[in-house]
Amino acid sequence: MPPAYRIRNLIKIYPGRRESANSGIDLEVAQGEIFGILGSNGAGKSTLVRQMVSLLRPTSGTIELLGRDTQHDTLQVPLHVGYLPQDGRALVNLTVSEAIYATAHLRGFSRNDARADRDTLLDMWEIGDIGDKTGRVLSGGFRRLMQLAVAMAGSPPVLVLDEPTNELDPQRRKQVWRNLREYSETRGTTVIFITHDALEAEKALQRVGIMRAGRFEVIGKPADLKRTQFNQLRLEISFAPDQPPVLPDNLKHIELEPGRWLVVVPRDRVDELLRSITLANMVDFKLYSATLEDLFLQIAEQTPESA
Amino acid sequence: MKKHSQLRRPQPWLVQFLDLYRLGLSNWRWTWRAAIIIDTLTPLVGMLALALFGQAFGPTTLAYIMTGNVVLALMFGNSRKVCAHMSFLRSMGGLDYYATLPIRKTALIASISAAFFTLSLPSVLITIATGSLLLGVPLQPSPWLLIVIPACALPLAGIGAYIAVLVRDADTAGAYNLLFTLALTGLGPVIVPPDRVIPILNMLSYLSPARYAASALRGALLGPVTGQLAIDIAVLVAFTLVVTALVARRMDWRASE
Repeated sequence: MPPAYRIRNLIKIYPGRRESANSGIDLEVAQGEIFGILGSNGAGKSTLVRQMVSLLRPTSGTIELLGRDTQHDTLQVPLHVGYLPQDGRALVNLTVSEAIYATAHLRGFSRNDARADRDTLLDMWEIGDIGDKTGRVLSGGFRRLMQLAVAMAGSPPVLVLDEPTNELDPQRRKQVWRNLREYSETRGTTVIFITHDALEAEKALQRVGIMRAGRFEVIGKPADLKRTQFNQLRLEISFAPDQPPVLPDNLKHIELEPGRWLVVVPRDRVDELLRSITLANMVDFKLYSATLEDLFLQIAEQTPESA
Repeated sequence: MKKHSQLRRPQPWLVQFLDLYRLGLSNWRWTWRAAIIIDTLTPLVGMLALALFGQAFGPTTLAYIMTGNVVLALMFGNSRKVCAHMSFLRSMGGLDYYATLPIRKTALIASISAAFFTLSLPSVLITIATGSLLLGVPLQPSPWLLIVIPACALPLAGIGAYIAVLVRDADTAGAYNLLFTLALTGLGPVIVPPDRVIPILNMLSYLSPARYAASALRGALLGPVTGQLAIDIAVLVAFTLVVTALVARRMDWRASE
């Protein structure tokens, strides 16, 4: 069985620019896998997925989808991939039901199957009661759910989702990750997504790639990555901004926001750290083992030289 | 829910076209009344204003004024709307949505043109009826009208789409389209008879689809039907095919095509 995607030495340089948006990307995503792409803004994530769904032409390199080169087989992507763009304002004049039904039918379903698919997706995303409303009058969150349903309409075997939880409240975010995991498990659908919601996404994904400066810095299972990257704990501390704590020598912090630091500390120095900063003086604190978000933050904070 | 299968086929072109045509019309379900009123009033007012001056020049001039305004409604109204809609699709990511579906871009272009053509039909019929009634232009409609009316609308709708795919900014695209409309309207015997057009413009108008559209409409609507009608239709169809091919070539679409 060929992988869902096999990408080899993918390079993308936009016209008129010197630096590459994607530089030598190699990636394989197995069929049925849930693969997350993390990275800072400008890391090249959207450029990568836009090439994966054939909306951008690579400067060089190859992209195979289900064993076929997407550059040579022009219908391979539209027949097999459901795509959710980052900024989806298309279809705002259609009702939710119309958009899902029409997409399912245009993806090859019969009219009856398209109607059944529409009803299932309305139920899955709990948006049946706004089925007759147009995208134009929906809140950003409901519009995102409508677009998710549209991306899944016609049951494509591969989903490529660019920030699926944008504009959603925490409850709906959980629903998205839960639905995507169940959908993939029951139907064998490959799900590839970009997200900044690393903490929640970790519960859904099977493998993750973290991008920086146009390439993947690491790719692997979250547990494996954390094991190899971290023998460390995280201490998140909140304090009055004008009274920052003094950290022991050689311990650095990441400023999450004014008055809130993340300190990455080796396990054997945790006691030393806790003694030095007097937790009782802190507004709030949280000590925990590494999360996917920590891994992402660590890689995102690296300078190109230190990578 | 139907499970996905590896054997997937796109819908036939005609099914794609009909789906996209319905989507195109659905876009206008809340605004079609206002659009039709404006589209009807514009040629109607233009026709009646010109008729005030034109009636002194006799029935031939009045016939040109009436058919010329129908051409304006059909050709240039559609051109403006298709241009604006294509620009809207580009700016809102709509073309990305369509490009990731297994559809042909010719089906998309044709469906957009057809949807706007459908919306322009009431204004065309009202302009013809009112023109005949108030200007006293005798009608001798022939069955060729069924071909002539869409053949008049499509070439300039294609031009509107072409401007939209060439020019990134929607406002600039609209301005270019207006400029183009004015140039083609003034070029040749569209609203006024050829003997009232400057000779050089009359010569240049042989390059303008508006000339052939006006001529075809006069032939099919007022008679007599002559060999000129076949030439007019052939030119309009050829123009439509060329412009559609140009739009399909330049439109943002799948990178692999």
